[in-house]
Formats: sequence, C-alpha cells, structure tokens
Amino acid sequence: MSTLGRILIVEDDPNDVELTLTALDEYKLANEVVVTRDGEEALDYLYCRGNFKTRSSDNPAVLLLDLKLPKRDGLEVLQEIKSDEKLKMIPVVVLTSSHEEKDVVASYRLGVNAYVVKPVDFHEFVNAVKELGMFWALINESPPGSLKKN
Amino acid sequence: MQKRLQTPKPLSAIQSYGLAVLAVSAAIGGALTLENYNFRGVEFPVFLFAIVITVWYARMEAAILALVLAALGFNYFFTEPLHTFYITRSEVPYYFVFILFASVLTWFTAVRRRIERDLLESRDKLEREVAERTQQASLLDLTHDSIFVRGMDDVITFWNRGAEELYGWRAEDVVGKITTHRLLRTVFPAPLEDVDAELLSTGRWDGEVEHTKADGSRVVVASRWSLRRDEQGQAVAILETNNDITERNRREHEIRTLNEELGKRAAELEAINKELEAFAYSISHDLRAPLRHMVGFTELLKKNAASQLDDRSQRYVTIILESAKRMGNLIDDLLAFSRIGRAETHKTTLSLQQLVEEALTEAEQDTRGRNIVWRVGTLPAWYGDRSMLRLALVNLVSNAVKFTRTRPQAEIEIACVDQTQDQIVVFIRDNGVGFDMKYVNKLFGVFQRLHTPETFEGTGIGLATVQRIVHRHGGRVWAEGLVDKGATFFFSLSKPQESNL
Repeated sequence: MSTLGRILIVEDDPNDVELTLTALDEYKLANEVVVTRDGEEALDYLYCRGNFKTRSSDNPAVLLLDLKLPKRDGLEVLQEIKSDEKLKMIPVVVLTSSHEEKDVVASYRLGVNAYVVKPVDFHEFVNAVKELGMFWALINESPPGSLKKN
Repeated sequence: MQKRLQTPKPLSAIQSYGLAVLAVSAAIGGALTLENYNFRGVEFPVFLFAIVITVWYARMEAAILALVLAALGFNYFFTEPLHTFYITRSEVPYYFVFILFASVLTWFTAVRRRIERDLLESRDKLEREVAERTQQASLLDLTHDSIFVRGMDDVITFWNRGAEELYGWRAEDVVGKITTHRLLRTVFPAPLEDVDAELLSTGRWDGEVEHTKADGSRVVVASRWSLRRDEQGQAVAILETNNDITERNRREHEIRTLNEELGKRAAELEAINKELEAFAYSISHDLRAPLRHMVGFTELLKKNAASQLDDRSQRYVTIILESAKRMGNLIDDLLAFSRIGRAETHKTTLSLQQLVEEALTEAEQDTRGRNIVWRVGTLPAWYGDRSMLRLALVNLVSNAVKFTRTRPQAEIEIACVDQTQDQIVVFIRDNGVGFDMKYVNKLFGVFQRLHTPETFEGTGIGLATVQRIVHRHGGRVWAEGLVDKGATFFFSLSKPQESNL
C-alpha cells in the first residue's frame, strides 16, 4: 500500500487543470503529477523528447486524457499510445466534458481503460477525480516499467 | 353513268333446253309468218338470231340442241322440197352455208360469252378483295396508334387516321406524294444506315424517334417498324407504328427532376443534420466546461472565504451554484433531446407491458412514501426502439407521479385504448393538477412549462422528448386535461412496414 504512481494529466484548460489538481490535492494524491497542455506535448513527454528529453524514462501510472485538445486531440494521442509497443500498457482514462456516444465508442475502440465524464457539480467532480487518483495511482497494480514512489 | 353489267345467273338445264326449243320454235313461226307476207329469205337471219339468243343465255348443250333443231327446222320448212327432211341438190349449198354460219356464230358467241363471264367474275372477285382490304384498312383507322406504310423508296403508301390525328396531315395529302423522313423530318437515335441494316437483317426495328408535326411542333414517338417481303422474299414495304410518348417522356423527365430535387434536399438535410451534430458536440464539450469552472471555483470560494462572507453573500453564492447546476441540467436535457432526434432507431419487437414495468421501477425513487394507486392494463407486444420507447414511458410516468404530488391518493392508469392491425393508442391518465386545454399546444414544446419551478421542478423537456420519440415511430401524441381534474396523455404507434423492421 501507499505507493503513489505518477499521474500524467493532458488538459489544455488551466481552470480544469487547477480544479483537478485541487481535487487531487485535497486527498494528497498529487505529489507526483505532470501536466501537459496539448496532445503533442503529452506525446513528447511519453517519448522523452523535446522538453522532456532529460526526464527518467519510466511510464506514468495513469494518464488522464482530455479529448478536445489543441494540435493533436485526445483520440489521436490515445491511438498513438495504444499502437506503440512500449506505451500501450499505460492505463489511459479519458476525462472529458462530453457524453457524446461517438466519443465513447471511439475511445473504447482504441483501447481506452476508462471513460469518465467530468461532472458539473464540484463535489461530484472532486469525488470523481479522487476516486480516479485513488484507483489508478494507488489501488491498481501498474504495469511493469511504471515509476513507483514509496 | 354507265350501266353496270351483272354476271348473269346461269339457267338451269330445263330452262336452257326450253329456251333452245322455244327460240327455235319462235324462229320457225316468225319466219313462216313473214313468208306469208311475201318476205322471202328472212328465215336465214331469224334462225341465226334464235341460235345466238340461246347461246348467249343458255348453256352450251342447249346451244347445240338449238343448232340441231334450227338445222332440222330450216331443212323441213325452208329448203326444197318443203315439208320433208329431203333436200334438193340445188339447195345443198344454201343449207350448208346456213349450217356453217350457225356453227361459227355459235362458237363465236360461246367464246365471247365465256370471256365476258370470266371478266365479270374477275371483276367481282377484284371488287370483293378491294372491299375486304378497304375494310381491313378501315380497321387500322380504329386504332389510336398512328400507322403508316411506306415503300422501300420511303414514299408513303398508307396513312391511317391515327397518323392523321398525330401528325396533322390527311392521307390524301401524303399517300404517294412524299417520303416519310422528309415529311416528318425524323431524328433517329442511331445512324439511319444502322437502323436500315437492322430492319433488313431482322425484319423489324424499334426505338424512340423524334418527328415534326404539320404545325411544326416536335413529337417523340416509340416507333416500331416491320418489314414486308413479297413471295420472292424481296423487301417491298415497311409498316411503321408510332406511339406518342412525348407526355410519357415529359412525366419521366419530371419524375427524374423531382428525384434529383429530392436527392438534393436529402443531401441538404444531411448537411444540416451534420451541422446540428457538430453543434451539439460543441455544446456538449464547450458549454459545460465554463459551467463546471463556475461551479468549481464558487465552491472553492465558499469553502475558503466562508468566514468572511455575510449571510447575504452566502445566499448569492448559493444562487450562483443553483443556477449553474440548473444550466447544467438544461444543457444535458437539450443534448439528450437532440440525440433522440439524431440517433438511429433500432426497431424490434418488444413488450410494452415490460417497458411499463421498467418505467414504474425507475419511478420508485419518486414514489417512495407516496400513496399511489396504479392501474396498469394489458399492453401488447409491439414494434419500436426499445430504449427510446422506454424513455418516453419513463417521462410520462414520472410526469404523472410529479403532477399528482398534491393528491392525498394519486391514481395513475396506463392502458391501451385502441388497437388495430397497424396502430395502437396507449394512454396514461392521472388525477393530478391537470392543465387548461387553452395551453394544450404548449405542452409538447421544448422548455415550455405550465408551472413555476417552485411548484413543480423540471426543465420542460420531458414531453418534447416523448413527442419526438413518438414521431420517430410514425405516431402522434396528444393530451386532454382539466385544471385540477387530472390529465390524460395519449400516444399512438404505427406498425412499421416489414422492410423497415
């Protein structure tokens, strides 16, 4: 117990980033969170290139992925991850505003591990983020190659 | 006017021989009488006349009898010695000349007679044939089809009334006078050589050609040609049957245009639908985010600054949160509503009874602690999209539950009133607050509400959703109500065609 995996957040909206971080912080789940602001940056991080050339090569324990993103959108990022031998094991959770069935279907087709709609109600939102953080960063046994923090 | 010769009726045997005997007797009597008046030598022409009459009117055998009788009579009465069948030497040449004349005359007359008879018969036969053909030709006049015949030189030889009516030229103006292609200025679908080649090899040709009428207007006809050959197999004429298909072509063209128009409209609608979809998608993503931020940061504000806010400000914060939440609900409802309009229906056979049970189960949360008498009738199996119809029933049931809230005992009835082969009508009746029929048209509008949010909560999308679902099932939805006396909602569902199932 109490090994916290690193969470990679891919979210372009600073307000959403702040709210998500606040929610994670509330339950002390945020000691290892990386935020990337678009699809390109997220992939740079995962492939250790660009600004992330020098980072340690461990994969995050979970990736919280928004769908509507600048440059490369969430579904493209998801597709790239799930078709890469080294990255496909990373659990990816789509965390988005959209209920749209076609997004849900497309995400699952591409092999998403979970699909969560951000609730409008803040308490529900905090709850959802908390549960996600708890589950993926704490409870879930991450695939080999993920960074574990004791 | 020339008197028309009739073919004489041949006399019977008795009549013929009678005529022979009678003619010769009359000749003998006549000649003897004339002799009494001293007319000498008249017997010769008189006898010949009698023979000619007989030959002319009677048969050959009778003519020979007349010849024999005349010879005997001439011998007996008019050659020396008189009243004997002897003949003096000096009378022999005279008698011989008589016999010779009579024979030659008989023969000539007989030949002449036969020729005339043959001619008359040929004439009659010809006339009969002509009459027959005329009748056949006039039969061709009866048909509405335009029919004409042209020779291999293309000159018109027959032109029926249908052709007169279609093209506007009379038969006498064109028959034998002009070639069809020049008259009608025919426009062929293929080179004329090809058309002629096909006609000559197969004996027929058909296709659509364009003709020009007498008034100059163009007409499109379905043209069928048949080649007529004589006994030697030589092509001699072409029979052409033409049907005016200008109107048919015009209609076909109209239908084609309409179909194209329809296709265009469908494409337009599809484009609009796509736009709507994109719009809904954008709403779903972009409208909810700022709302979530409003709520999130207001909550944080409330939490962090609770001690600094006075009661009034606290209330403001609450109002902001409630309004944002309400807007969230509105957006969700609107999206759900638009999804029903856009989603494909998956129609199967389903049990309406079971759907109602499910709707009642779903309503349990709201009915807890309430005194409700349910009356659910027997509902048939029907066809439709399961999840959509379920949603419609859930909305109607939850409406009934909501608007009977003020009743000490609510009564809600669900049943089927009118079932035929192709359609059923289901109703949900309650004894709730009802409504004024004045506003019946507003019931099913999007976000149309007849109550304030304080009395009855809701966004006003439920009945609009029901209506949309029912419309998508080819049905109709309507309501009856009285203020304070309850409301009844009806919806009909039609059975889809087998192919749409």
